[in-house]
Amino acid sequence: MKEIELTSLDIKLYTEKLDNGLEVYMLPYKDKKKYFISYATRYGSDVLKFDVDGEEYAPPLGVAHYLEHKLFEEESGIDPFTFFSESGTDGNASTSYDYTQYICYGTKKFDENLRYLVQFVNRPYFTDENVLKEKGIISEEIKMYNDIPDYKLEIKLREMIYNSLSRKYDIAGTIDEINKITKEDLYKCYNSFYVPNNMFILIVGNFDCKSAINIIKEELDSKISVNLPKIHNVNENDKVNKKELIIKEDIEVPKIGIGLKVPSKNLKLNDVELDLYLNMITTILFGSSSEFRERVRVEELLNDIYSEWESTDNFKTFYLYATSKYPDKLVEEINYEFDNLSVTTTAFNRIKKVWIANEVKTVDNVYRMENNVYDDIISYGKPIANRVELIRNMDIKVLRNLIKKIKFDNRCILKMYSKDKKKL
Amino acid sequence: MKYIKKDLGSYNLHLINTNKYKTVTMKIVFHSPIKKEDITKRNVLSDILLQSCKKYQSKREMIIESENLYALDIYNNIQRYGNYSMFSFTLQVLNDRYTEDDNLEKSIEFLSEILCNPDISNNAFKKDKLSIVKNNTEVVLSSLKEDPVGYSQMRLYEAFDKEGPISYRMAGYKEDLSKITKENLYTYYKNMIENDYVDIFIAGDFDNVKIVSIIKKYFKFRKIKKRKINYELDIRKCRKRRLFAKEKCEASQSKLAIACPISKMSTYEKNYPLVLANIIFGGSADSKLFKNVREKNSLCYTINSSVSKLDNLMTIKAGIDKDNFNKTVEVITKTLDDMKKGKFTDKDINIAKELYKSYIMSIEEDPMRIINEYLSMEIVDMDSYNERIEIMDKVKKRDIIKVFKKINMDTIFLLEGDIK
Repeated sequence: MKEIELTSLDIKLYTEKLDNGLEVYMLPYKDKKKYFISYATRYGSDVLKFDVDGEEYAPPLGVAHYLEHKLFEEESGIDPFTFFSESGTDGNASTSYDYTQYICYGTKKFDENLRYLVQFVNRPYFTDENVLKEKGIISEEIKMYNDIPDYKLEIKLREMIYNSLSRKYDIAGTIDEINKITKEDLYKCYNSFYVPNNMFILIVGNFDCKSAINIIKEELDSKISVNLPKIHNVNENDKVNKKELIIKEDIEVPKIGIGLKVPSKNLKLNDVELDLYLNMITTILFGSSSEFRERVRVEELLNDIYSEWESTDNFKTFYLYATSKYPDKLVEEINYEFDNLSVTTTAFNRIKKVWIANEVKTVDNVYRMENNVYDDIISYGKPIANRVELIRNMDIKVLRNLIKKIKFDNRCILKMYSKDKKKL
Repeated sequence: MKYIKKDLGSYNLHLINTNKYKTVTMKIVFHSPIKKEDITKRNVLSDILLQSCKKYQSKREMIIESENLYALDIYNNIQRYGNYSMFSFTLQVLNDRYTEDDNLEKSIEFLSEILCNPDISNNAFKKDKLSIVKNNTEVVLSSLKEDPVGYSQMRLYEAFDKEGPISYRMAGYKEDLSKITKENLYTYYKNMIENDYVDIFIAGDFDNVKIVSIIKKYFKFRKIKKRKINYELDIRKCRKRRLFAKEKCEASQSKLAIACPISKMSTYEKNYPLVLANIIFGGSADSKLFKNVREKNSLCYTINSSVSKLDNLMTIKAGIDKDNFNKTVEVITKTLDDMKKGKFTDKDINIAKELYKSYIMSIEEDPMRIINEYLSMEIVDMDSYNERIEIMDKVKKRDIIKVFKKINMDTIFLLEGDIK
């Protein structure tokens, strides 16, 4: 077991790698009652095509998410939710572009629940009948999201940014696609990607590291590592797929979405630092204490704003969503910020202070901490132990250099208006 | 953890000492009997206080100051607790151990500047700031349907009881928004400070003597206030025949919402068997509704029930296909009938008890939840949460059946999505 100190946060992380490649990350807390266990595979909706038995195989869209639902099916008929509930524990699962995770969190029976979690994920039981049953449930899930205007905005914006990458599709697929899914599809994907060398376990909160490792070894040491299949990657254009688009939906107040696509190959910073600096640029530009925000507030051009960065193998993509009665004027203001990009030392240092304070605050919250470590493992392959130091050492010269290298005009603009002409 | 309540005359100060956190959390709550015509004004007031104050004349200055105080967070919130509107501001800041001496005091002073020293001239808020907040509020009020679950619940309550506080839209009303002026908003503010009943909670690792003197220094309300009416809504009789209400919308999924009034229950019944009944019926991923409606009949992705003790009401919500409306209502009805007949096992009860224990045990993980727990105890007659686990353990099946018999389906609302 390796011990890693998370610098400036008074907390230690323990890691171990089993011979078969399974990674275990543990972050024990002394003064918490809750624990949180995540068992994850680095497989999500990003995989569109891969080889099975020497042949190319492209399962229906949404298969990774479908698989996540169906792993809760047990031959014994005992529902994993019921098992967890018996000790007051909650269970859940989620699928993203680049991972699928199974979680349980509670205050009691840690050993039993950990053991059960890894057992049920390793015990697929798919039948024609139980696969069919899920279609109604997942169809309602897809419909639920598709009814949310903000969700439609995001999906449309993704289609404008990417020309072929999986990120342009909904993680859950479409109703037509999921209707094609069979138990054979589920087994093929399961057997290819739910293998120890593609998976990890992350545990945070109130538990004992030694007994956790013992249970994991008892349950999973005998699993054999399997060569991961060849995944067929698609070629993605450096440029955005479509620059501008207007759509109409059943909304009252218009919305906008802006995407900035940054090819990351030649930016010459390591991934963690690159993410910090990119985030710094957009926080200074559009963050809550930016000059932009004050200006659009006073001019009443902005009602709501949300932004985030996304990473893929070769790209860093910035998403900005906003609600505004005057979308054209707001877009002009945003364009102005990109075209006249400048960063001041004052803002730069203030944001650094905010980030460091937020890192410390996060430690109080087991869930948020779990989330951060989890994101690190997915994004960087390992938890980042010295993030506070990395933030403290950020240099405005590096930031200014980076700004010069990025083509900020590689953006797309989506506007969503009301269908009803009388409205805005 | 140690809890002390101090009566400071014009408000109660609740001190929660715990060394579990790196942060200190403080919440100030203004209780006022809810008036429909004041809801919008109260919302606008809450937001305008965060636009500027005497000391920080713009929102940007205000945010920059909060960043300088080591990224303190301030949240504003207004919630209905039965007959009352609870207007609150919450401050969360790193303990001085991680920042510098006096950062906590400066943060409390900052909150007091925002709440007690607003940006007023000539007995009125600033025109431009009011305009910003009104514009934002109007957009919120225009976009209620973008949250179809919340919207369907609101429409359900309006159908269920046209007059009572349960039907009030907490987001406010457009017609009231246009009546708000910078002058009458200030009058309302003064009235709130003068007359609302106030609780201040603070949780974290601090010295009590010092913190009491700091809070006394920055929060001074002159008048001693009393709570005038009950928090709990009057019990509403269930209709003899169920009421169906429907509204069409442009969506592919329909939202079903059902109101089930709860008839007279003892405090014990409400605090114990009712809580278990709800967990068993629709309050967890292992519930009867989840199993029957979703897993057995594939009728939905989400379904749950929740209980409001102050409103004497259980609410059931599900996202379904409109063609499955009758079938879903039938399965839900059957499930509730089965509960009344005692068709659940001791294992179901034990699971519900364990989930409840886990909930109680995790309260201390989050300072906001601890504070909200103590706030609830100010309002509802409840045992301390350590005692609750013991009492809950002794609840019998017959107690749960008895409460199920007091829950009846009354109003059924469907927000009907008509896209295929």
